[in-house]
Amino acid sequence: MRKILIVGAGQSGLQLALTLREHGYDVTVMSARTPDEIRKGRVMSTQCMFHDALQHERDHDLNLWERECVRVDGLGVSIAGPDSSRVLDWFGKLDNYAQSVDQRVKMAGWLELFERKGGQLIIHGVTTADLDKLAGMYDLVVVAAGKGELVELFDRNPERSPYTSPQRALSLVYVHGLERRPEHPEYAAVRFNIIPGVGELFMIPGYTLSGNCDILFFEGIPGGPLDCWGDRPGPQEHLDRILGFMKQYLPWEYERARNVELTDDKATLAGGYTPVVRHPVGELPSGHTVLGMADVVVANDPITGQGSNNASKCAAVFLDAILERGDAPYDREWKNATFERYWDYAQHVTQWTNAMLQPPPPHVMEILGEAGANPQVARRFANGFSDPSDYQNWFLDPAKAAEYLASVRS
Amino acid sequence: MRSKRIRPYALTGGRTKPRYDLLVETLVSVPHYDPSLSDSLMPESQLLYERARTRVSIAELSVVMTIPLGVVRVLVSDLAAQGAIYIHPTAAAYQHDRNVLERILDGLKRLPV
Ligand SMILES: Cc1cc2nc3c(=O)[nH]c(=O)nc-3n(C[C@H](O)[C@H](O)[C@H](O)COP(=O)(O)OP(=O)(O)OC[C@H]3O[C@@H](n4cnc5c(N)ncnc54)[C@H](O)[C@@H]3O)c2cc1C
Repeated sequence: MRKILIVGAGQSGLQLALTLREHGYDVTVMSARTPDEIRKGRVMSTQCMFHDALQHERDHDLNLWERECVRVDGLGVSIAGPDSSRVLDWFGKLDNYAQSVDQRVKMAGWLELFERKGGQLIIHGVTTADLDKLAGMYDLVVVAAGKGELVELFDRNPERSPYTSPQRALSLVYVHGLERRPEHPEYAAVRFNIIPGVGELFMIPGYTLSGNCDILFFEGIPGGPLDCWGDRPGPQEHLDRILGFMKQYLPWEYERARNVELTDDKATLAGGYTPVVRHPVGELPSGHTVLGMADVVVANDPITGQGSNNASKCAAVFLDAILERGDAPYDREWKNATFERYWDYAQHVTQWTNAMLQPPPPHVMEILGEAGANPQVARRFANGFSDPSDYQNWFLDPAKAAEYLASVRS
Repeated sequence: MRSKRIRPYALTGGRTKPRYDLLVETLVSVPHYDPSLSDSLMPESQLLYERARTRVSIAELSVVMTIPLGVVRVLVSDLAAQGAIYIHPTAAAYQHDRNVLERILDGLKRLPV
C-alpha cells in the first residue's frame, strides 16, 4: 500500500485523494481548515465547470450535488457600446450542461467523504519546514495548495508565463433573486458581458449553502473604474457597488438584478493575481522532491473560467500516472513527465486565456460578430469551454479563423 | 529510503477513525504502553510514543522533539488511528488543573512561530 501525502483540500487535491482511496492507496490530506470552517468561510471562486471536467467527478461518484444544482445550458455573449447600448448579443447552446457548486459546499462535503472512505485528514496549515520533514515518510508528496505561499517552492517558468502582474481586478458576489434573461427564460446560462476598455461581467448560475443562486463576477482592467476594491467594502456595500456598475455599463443585466440580495454575509470576494506557469518539481532542503498540481503549477486568470476545470483534469491525469507507475519510485523524472502530460492539455487553456486578456484582435471580433448571425459558430465557441484545445484550430489564429468562417458562410 | 515495516493498521485494513482536532493545546497520552509496538515504530514516532507515556500537549511535543508542528500532527494522527495514543477532549476540560495549563502555556511560548 503506497503512502501518498496531499497538501491542500481544493478541487485538485481532494479529487486526487478521493480517487486514490478508491484504488486502496494510503492517502493523507493536510487541509488548512476543517469542513465546518470551510462552510463558514468566504466564497473562493465562481467555479463553473463544464462537461469534460464534470465527467471526471461522475466517473468516481463525486458529483454529490448534481441533482440539486441548476444546469447551465449555454453561454451568452454581449458587448456594450460606448452609450451602454448592446451592440452584440447572442446565445450559444452547450451540447452538455455545465454546473457551479460553491467550493464551500463541495470541499467541505468532499473532506467528510474522504474521511468516511478511510482517508487520513490532518488539519494544519503546512509550512516548508513541515514538508521538509514529512517528505521522507511518504512515497509521494503532492502540493495542491492553490495560490497559497507554498507555491514559492516551485520556480516560475518565464518561457510559459508572459505576464508579471495581475491582468484583472476581480470582484464578485453571490445573490438570490436574479431573474432570467427575458430573451431566454427557458435557459439558465453563463452570461459573458464585455465592456470594451473597462472589463467583463460574468453572470453564473450556481448552487450554494442556501440552494441555487447566481454569481455576479466583474473582471476589471487594472487602473480602470472596476479596479476599486482596495477599501474592502462590507458585504452590502460590495453588492451595491457591483449593482451600480451594472446599471451604468450593462443596463440590460441590471434590469433583472433589481431585487437581488446576498446569499450570506461571506458571499463577496475581491482581489487579483498574476497568471503564471511554474516548474512542477519543488526541492526541499532535505533533498526530497515534491510534485505541484493544478493552480500551484498553472494558474490562469479566471476570465475563461477554467481553473477548476483544469484542476479536475489535472487530478485525472495525475491519478492515471500514479496508477500506471505501480511500485516504481515516483522520482524526479516521473514527476516532470507527469506534469508534461497535463501540460499537453493545459497549454491550450493557458494560451487561450492569456489571449482573452488582451483587447480582441480583428479576427476575434469577426468571429464574435458572425456568431450572432450563425448559431453554428456560437455553438462552437460555447462548447470550447468544455475542451479549450479546440480553439487552436480556429479561434486563436487569424488564418485558420478566416478559413473556418469561409467554410461556414459558403 | 526507510525500512518498510508493516505497521499495525495495514493489517487491520486501513483507518476508519474520525478526524482529530489537534490544536496546539490538545493533550495526548498513551493509554496502554506496549514496548513491542514502540520497537516497531519509525524513530520520530517512537520518540513521540515514549514521550506521551505521560500526558503531554501537541505544543510541548513539537518543542521537546524539535520537529515542526505539522509533523507532530501527522505522527500523532497516525498513532491515534491505530489506537496507540489517546487524544484528550480539549484543554477546556482541564481549566481547573493549574499544572496542566501552565505546562501548555509554557509549550506554546517556546513554539517557534
Ligand atoms: C474569482 C475567481 C473566479 C473563478 N472562477 C472560476 C470558474 O468559473 N471556473 C473555473 O473552472 N475556475 C474558476 N476559478 C479558478 C478556480 O477556483 C481554481 O483554479 C481552482 O479552485 C484551483 O484548484 P486547486 O485545487 O489548484 O486549488 P484550490 O481549489 O485553491 O485549493 C487549494 C487548497 O489548499 C489550501 N491551502 C493553501 N495553502 C495551504 C497550506 N500551506 N497548508 C494546507 N492547506 C493549504 C487552501 O486553503 C485550499 O483549500 C476562479 C478563481 C477565482 C479567484
